Amino acid sequence: MSTLIIIDQPPYGSWEGREALDMAFSLAAFDQPVSLLFCGAGVNWLRKGQDAAEVQQKSIERNLAAAPVFGVEALLADRSACDQYGLDDAALLDHVTITDLGKELTGRFDHVAFAG
Amino acid sequence: MISSLPEQTKTPAPAGVFTLVITGAPYSSQAPQTALRFARAALAANKRIDRVFLYGDGVHLASSLSAPPSDELNLCDAWSVFLTENHIAGVACIASALRRGLVDESEMQRYQLTASNLRAPFEIAGLGEWVDSMATGSRVLYFHKGA
Repeated sequence: MSTLIIIDQPPYGSWEGREALDMAFSLAAFDQPVSLLFCGAGVNWLRKGQDAAEVQQKSIERNLAAAPVFGVEALLADRSACDQYGLDDAALLDHVTITDLGKELTGRFDHVAFAG
Repeated sequence: MISSLPEQTKTPAPAGVFTLVITGAPYSSQAPQTALRFARAALAANKRIDRVFLYGDGVHLASSLSAPPSDELNLCDAWSVFLTENHIAGVACIASALRRGLVDESEMQRYQLTASNLRAPFEIAGLGEWVDSMATGSRVLYFHKGA
């Protein structure tokens, strides 16, 4: 049973993305294979050097950097969204793989779930 | 006009078991109402629903303090009656619930709050309930705010 959780919303604007991240960490904590895919404005979650202090939130950069440690199998970023937001490998967090969102990718997973 | 819809005789879910995840709040999204209509149709088609999991803004559906005008649909009450009558577990995620001011008596005491507001038969529990549905082969359907 493998799960792909897709986050398509930008960070910090609402809690939906954070709560989707919690879902991924919960699956991993129960030894269920899970990967995260960021697309649309969601790729901005994967930027290096985030500082959320001005909006009185905790940066999610550290959470995402720890994702592989907690058992999340892959952090995936949609290529076209990265192009749109000017993100290349150098601007992305470590352990992020740029990929193409489509049937071929989602077909590899038993479950695919969107963040609210 | 569609004269007849094809009857659903099979479901991809083993044994036709569904888990519904509702993330859209009542009255600011149609998710709880759409989910309720789906749930009624599923039972009418002899499918089973093992659990309704409220996540994110969906936890507002479990509030006992919702009191819409009497000539409007009371979504919280409608869901409560449906779950009770059909013996289906209703679970609100604890982290989502605490963030949004939905607490049972136990959490009220733990955080020294002045009131509790969890509507029966809903219970508060962790994401492990959702993971259990994912891992045991239920077909998990999501009702988001766009639903």
